[in-house]
Amino acid sequence: MTGRRQFLGGLIAASIVPKPTWADAGSPAFLSAAARADGRFVLCGISGDLEIRFERPLPARGHAAAAHPTLPEAVAFARRPGTFAIVIDCMTGAQKAALTAPAGRHFYGHGAFSADGSLLFTTENDFEAGRGRIGIWDTRSGYTRIDEWDSGGIGPHDIKRLPGTETLVVANGGIDTHPDSGRAKLNIPTMEPNLAYIVHGAVTEVAKLPADMHKNSIRHLAVGPEGQVAFGMQWQGDGPVSTLVGLHQMGGPMTLMDAPQDDVRNMQGYIGSIAFGADGKTIAVTSPRGGLLQLFDAQAGRLMQSEPLTDVCGVAAIGGQFAVTSGTGEMRQTNGANLRPGTQAALQWDNHLIPIITP
Amino acid sequence: MKRIALAIALTLPAISQADPVVDDIIDAHILPTFETLAAQSQTLADVAADDCDPTSDALRDAYGTAFDAWVSASHLRFGPTEADDRAFALAFWPDSRGATPRALNVLIADEDPIANTPADYAEVSIAARGFYALEFLLYDSALMTAGDAAYRCTLIQTVTADIATTSQSIIDDWQTSYAETMRNPGPDGFYRHVEEVRQELFKALSTGLQFTSDTRLGRPLGTFERSYPARAEARRSERSSRHVMLSLAALQDLAARMASEDADLADALDASFTRALTQLTDLDDPTFAAVSAPQIRIKVEVIQQSVDTIRAIVGNELGPTLGVAAGFNSLDGD
Repeated sequence: MTGRRQFLGGLIAASIVPKPTWADAGSPAFLSAAARADGRFVLCGISGDLEIRFERPLPARGHAAAAHPTLPEAVAFARRPGTFAIVIDCMTGAQKAALTAPAGRHFYGHGAFSADGSLLFTTENDFEAGRGRIGIWDTRSGYTRIDEWDSGGIGPHDIKRLPGTETLVVANGGIDTHPDSGRAKLNIPTMEPNLAYIVHGAVTEVAKLPADMHKNSIRHLAVGPEGQVAFGMQWQGDGPVSTLVGLHQMGGPMTLMDAPQDDVRNMQGYIGSIAFGADGKTIAVTSPRGGLLQLFDAQAGRLMQSEPLTDVCGVAAIGGQFAVTSGTGEMRQTNGANLRPGTQAALQWDNHLIPIITP
Repeated sequence: MKRIALAIALTLPAISQADPVVDDIIDAHILPTFETLAAQSQTLADVAADDCDPTSDALRDAYGTAFDAWVSASHLRFGPTEADDRAFALAFWPDSRGATPRALNVLIADEDPIANTPADYAEVSIAARGFYALEFLLYDSALMTAGDAAYRCTLIQTVTADIATTSQSIIDDWQTSYAETMRNPGPDGFYRHVEEVRQELFKALSTGLQFTSDTRLGRPLGTFERSYPARAEARRSERSSRHVMLSLAALQDLAARMASEDADLADALDASFTRALTQLTDLDDPTFAAVSAPQIRIKVEVIQQSVDTIRAIVGNELGPTLGVAAGFNSLDGD
């Protein structure tokens, strides 16, 4: 029979068992999905000096992952239009939970956690309505679905939380798709991407592009220390586009980054990933199609430099510099104006290099 | 001596930029394709002007011939087809949420005068324009008889005239400027290098194959659990399988021209297309209506796999041969 003393003792014991932290998984600074040479897919933890700290199996090719802010666990999303995501214990590689999109929804491949890690927010498609949704999952009860919100647009892709707040910013790419037609884009003539800010389920602000840029799909986001939101776009119109990178801050206008026309064209209409420098002064964007990393001066709003790297896509801030990953297995780091020689893994790094942001 | 040096300097850039593969594709593939589309679309509009009865053989034949011409052009989605969203105005499909019948029903119910002239009609919802909208007006039992017969007649005549205008605009652009734009890449041009021109053509081939696999075949195949024959393209006019055939034939021609510098690759591509086309002929199901039956479904899946095999050859072998980047991430598109 369990007496009161034993019960209390059990409670105390439970509370003094320390919760695992990212340090227990080798203190990785980044996560990235990758394909192995044997055709299998993995999620890797990568240290701040660009060493692989762990390699955990994934059931299929991943897109992005979201790192829990305190617990060493990550949500790995399948490529869109996937209907499931898995939560991986990064210490053991065990699958801790699985997220299944509700009927009539599919994931777009990105997610963000609340500041305390209790909630996960996922970008989703309500494909019968053709409307973007944000799914809300309770991480403390095994990632159960508890609610969903409007995303403020069509085709939400990336989602980030502004630092020090519970405000979410969503890249509504504007492109309507329906899983019955694969990746066919249903509304290019009328697409209208936006950046939507969401506070506790209410869309509090929507920032739009100028009308002549309505075919520039806002896809990926990076947030600066002061809540600046840099966005990378993918051009769905025909012919050259004038810019693929922009900057916004709540309450202000959108600024579009300037670059010489040739440098914009070299990105082939496609930004694959974006990152803000730790000091909020530099924005890094990659184009795997152009095989280029470009660095922008956020304040001046113009291109500073362009560095070639074949099939480069993942990018993240590291110290005062940027780390980049490529589909050829390379990991490199910028050094001021240069891209330093880096490491070569027998892996193909997938789209995104996800920083693990601990409080 | 000086004069010779100058002459060489003047002619070199032109020589170095000329690309016989590109010239051949423009002259023998692109221009004839859009000339046929414009001519058959005009014939369709002329026939409809004389005979707007949706059950008329003459009208339906003209429709089929013009739609054939579009499907054979439907992979060439760049430049003139994208200006003013012309390709969407000709072909609003897939229509996952039924926007086309909805828009047509509203027009007919309101007897909206916007359908009185093709010029006005260019401003209507894009879902109510083009070959797929016309299919509803000619073959859908509800829309064939909805509302006022005289209004429907006007609508059919206007939609066909709008198709003819759009198709003519595409070939006009090709003939007056875009062919030269592709032949003459340069630092200030729309295309800066021959490589960018080749990349555009390569993209047309690979996205054309993807569309046929994912959408033309993928929609009726549905999910692993369930097939959806009612999602097949243009099933009302029984053209679903025909569209796969026509698109593969057009892509086969383009692929052969793109691979013309590598005989082994050209042979491998040709064999892979022929295999898919033979499987499609053997299936003998014009609308994929039987796709719900397991023994038929497996045959459609095999055709889709054959198209995906072509895609793999194109991506893994033709791309590198043409010097077109095709990395792990650059192909992903997300």
